[in-house]
Amino acid sequence: MNGFFWLASYPKSGNTWLRLMLHSVQRGGAAPDFSEASGFAPVASARNIFDDVLGIESSDLNPDEITTLRPRLYQILASHAREPLLRKVHDAWILTPANEPLLPPAVTMGAVYIVRDPRDVVASMANHNGVALERSIARLSDPANVIAASDRRLADQLPQRLLSWSGHVESWLDSPIDPLVLRYEDMLADPLAALRRVVDRLGWSAESAMLESAVRATRFELLHAAEQRHGFRERPTRSQRFFRRGQSGGWRDELTAEQAARIEADHGPAMRRLGYL
Amino acid sequence: MSDYRLCGWRVRSDLALPDLLPWHGDDRAPDIHIRLTEVPAALTDPVHAGPLLQIARDGTCRFALPRVGAYLVRQGREILVQPADDPEATAVRTFLFGTVFGLLCHQRGTLPLHASCVRIGGVAVAFAGRSGVGKSTLAAAFLRRGYDILADDVTVVDIDQPGGPVVLPAFPRLKLWQDAMTAFDFESTGLEAARPDLPKFVLPVESHFQAEPLPLATVYHLATVLDPRHAALERLRGLAAVTPLHQAVYRMSMLARIGETSATLAAAVRLAAGLRANWRLVRCHDHAAMDAVVTDILARQEAP
Repeated sequence: MNGFFWLASYPKSGNTWLRLMLHSVQRGGAAPDFSEASGFAPVASARNIFDDVLGIESSDLNPDEITTLRPRLYQILASHAREPLLRKVHDAWILTPANEPLLPPAVTMGAVYIVRDPRDVVASMANHNGVALERSIARLSDPANVIAASDRRLADQLPQRLLSWSGHVESWLDSPIDPLVLRYEDMLADPLAALRRVVDRLGWSAESAMLESAVRATRFELLHAAEQRHGFRERPTRSQRFFRRGQSGGWRDELTAEQAARIEADHGPAMRRLGYL
Repeated sequence: MSDYRLCGWRVRSDLALPDLLPWHGDDRAPDIHIRLTEVPAALTDPVHAGPLLQIARDGTCRFALPRVGAYLVRQGREILVQPADDPEATAVRTFLFGTVFGLLCHQRGTLPLHASCVRIGGVAVAFAGRSGVGKSTLAAAFLRRGYDILADDVTVVDIDQPGGPVVLPAFPRLKLWQDAMTAFDFESTGLEAARPDLPKFVLPVESHFQAEPLPLATVYHLATVLDPRHAALERLRGLAAVTPLHQAVYRMSMLARIGETSATLAAAVRLAAGLRANWRLVRCHDHAAMDAVVTDILARQEAP
C-alpha cells in the first residue's frame, strides 16, 4: 500500500529548507529551482486538491466540516497513489470533530517532525508575518491558534489548527505514528547528517556525494540570494523575505529578557523535552 | 410550487429559489423538476463511490452533505432534494447551485466552466480559475463600473450552437467574501450569507444581470502570485489554449475518475476553436489594483 510521508512542523521551523534539500536530492543534487520546488512536497492542506478530489467547494464549508472531511481526502489520495506521497503539514496531530485522526495512521507511511527553539520561532514569525513580537508570543501560547482561517477572505489553504507551540510539539511527539524528530538547530550544525537521517527514514537510496551536493546547493546564502533575484513563491504576503537569517539563537538579540522568560515559562516542559532548556 | 428560469431552462421547483428569476417564457413543459422528497441512501450500481458523491452507471448522481441534505440528479431533468433540516436553509441552495448544478449541466450536455462571466460590448468574457483566485472579485469590479454579469463561479457554455460557443446566464447574483465587499464599498448588512457562519455574502446584481445568452468571446485564466515579478499576461494558442480550458471544466477531476475525460477534452477543443482569444492572466492579490485590471481587459477587448 502507498500512503503519505508527512513533513510536519510548526511554521517557521525549517520545513521549507528541508523540502528544498530533499527536492535537490531527487534532482541528483542540483540547485533548487524555486518555480519547480513549490510543487515538491506540496502542503497537505491545499484547498484546490480538497475541492477537486471531494467534488465540493470548500469555500462553502465551515471549518469543522472541512476538518471532518480531510481524512477522507487522504484516504482517496492514498488509494490512487502510485508512489509514496510527500506532504508538508503545519497542522497539529489532532482528532477531527468526528473524533478520528486528521491524518489517518492507516495511510501514514511515516513522518518527520521538524522542531525549532520557540524563542527563534517567535523572532522569525514576527518578521515573517509583519506582526509584532508580542503578538507572535501570544500566538505561540494560544491553544486555539488556527492558520489560513479564511475569516475575511478565502485563503489558498484550508484552515489548520496549530494548538499552542507546546501543544503542537506534544501532539506530534506523542502521536501513534512515531515521527523522526529533527531539530532545526541540529540541521544547521550538521545538515548532511540531518539529511541522511531523513532520507533513510523515507527509504530513499542516495549516495553520500549526492547528499553533500544537495546540502551545498541549499546553503542559506544561496537560497537568500536566489530569493532576492527571483522571488520565492511561498513567501507570505505580508513579509519582506522568506529566508531571513538562517541561524539559531538569534532570539538573544531580538527578544527582551522578559519576553524570552515568558516563552520559557509558557513552554518549559516541551522545551526541556527537546533540550532547549 | 413555482417556475423559474435557469440558463434559459424552465425549472419547476417545490423549493422556493430566490436566487433565480421567475419564468416569463413560453408555456413549454418544464425542462427540469426540483422535488422535495426522499433521496435513496445509496445508488444501486455505482461506478464512483466517494464520501460525498456517488455516480451510477446510467449517470445518475447522488450528492450528500451531513447536516445539510442529500440530492439526486438524473437524466439532466430531475433533482430530488432531501434537506437534513429546514428546507428553506441557505445551505440547501448553496450546494444545490454548486456541485449539484454542475452535475446537472454535465448531464444536459452543456459545458460548465469554473468561471465568472461578464458582458463587454455584445459578447461574454469569462474569468476562470481555482477557488480564491479572484473570479467573483473581478466580476464585482466590472459590476461596479456598470457592466452586466452573466454568471458567477459556474459559467454554463453551450458549445453546440452553429455560431460558436454561447454562455447561458445562470444566477443574478455574486458571492463575495467580506474583504471584497469592503474593498468595493458594497454593504453586507441585510445580505444573506452563503452559510450562516461564513463571511461570504450573496450580492444580488438585479438590473445588472444579463439574462439573455451571449456568444463567449474570450476566456481569461486567472492565477495569483505573491511577487510582482511573477505577474504575467500571455495569449494562449493551440494546445496551450485547450489544456487550461479542459482544466477549467467544473468538477473535471471528479469526471476524470468516472471516465468522462475524453468527452470533456473534445468539448474543450471545440470551445478553444470557437473563442476569439484565450489569455493567462497572472497577478498579485490586490483589490486596489483590480480597477486597473478591468481597464486593461476593456482596452484589449475593444482592440480590433
